[in-house]
Amino acid sequence: MNVPSDQSPEQPFRRSRLAERLLPGGSEPDPRFTLANERTFLAWIRTAMALLAGGIAIEAFTADLFIEPVRQGIAILLLGLGMLLSAGAAVRWLRVERSMRNKAPLPLPLIIPLLAGAGALAAAVVLVVILLD
Amino acid sequence: MPARTLSPHQDPGLQPERTTLAWGRTMMALITVSAIFLRWLPLHGLPILALFAVAVTAAGAIYFTQRRRYRASSHGIATERLGADVAAVLWTSLACVTLGGLGIAVVLAS
Repeated sequence: MNVPSDQSPEQPFRRSRLAERLLPGGSEPDPRFTLANERTFLAWIRTAMALLAGGIAIEAFTADLFIEPVRQGIAILLLGLGMLLSAGAAVRWLRVERSMRNKAPLPLPLIIPLLAGAGALAAAVVLVVILLD
Repeated sequence: MPARTLSPHQDPGLQPERTTLAWGRTMMALITVSAIFLRWLPLHGLPILALFAVAVTAAGAIYFTQRRRYRASSHGIATERLGADVAAVLWTSLACVTLGGLGIAVVLAS
């Protein structure tokens, strides 16, 4: 947590060492944009957690619905996607924050096609399993 | 030293409130995930408590930084300068990656 100290506006803005290393150069963006970027990161993290919870639920509750390899496959797919999105959310937050510091265009979100593609794949797996059943 | 008193911000968009609430929702999602992990206990035994501990620790870390977070973001809006909270983003992301990784390990080990 980076709590700003009571310094006059003339003094340079002190940043944490972590921020200096990962967000080098540029200038502090509007605090509203920084907070908006943080909220977007959190929305992605909650999406990732919904997938993690789904993966656990598949493995824990569907023992009499799917045969074991299918159940494990879907659970691992969901858990893996949750992991990728959790990491991707932090990477995206960093890239957006860097772009805002340098007043550059915001990067395209690579995690959107990832989520869409994997969601479609999971739906297809379940559909095939139900049709073959 | 951080300001002990609250800097009243003049943001009609209520950014500090919305951001603190977003962290609060994330905390509740972590608690929900930790509770779902407990359903694995009868199937996979005590190692599941490690997963539960990671989720609950992350939720607790959010809970105990909420006041500081609100104060810092309100102060940041008031002074028009706010440092990006790199550490919080990184540990939240790391906690979720860890949960996913341990979860996959549990599924594969069963």
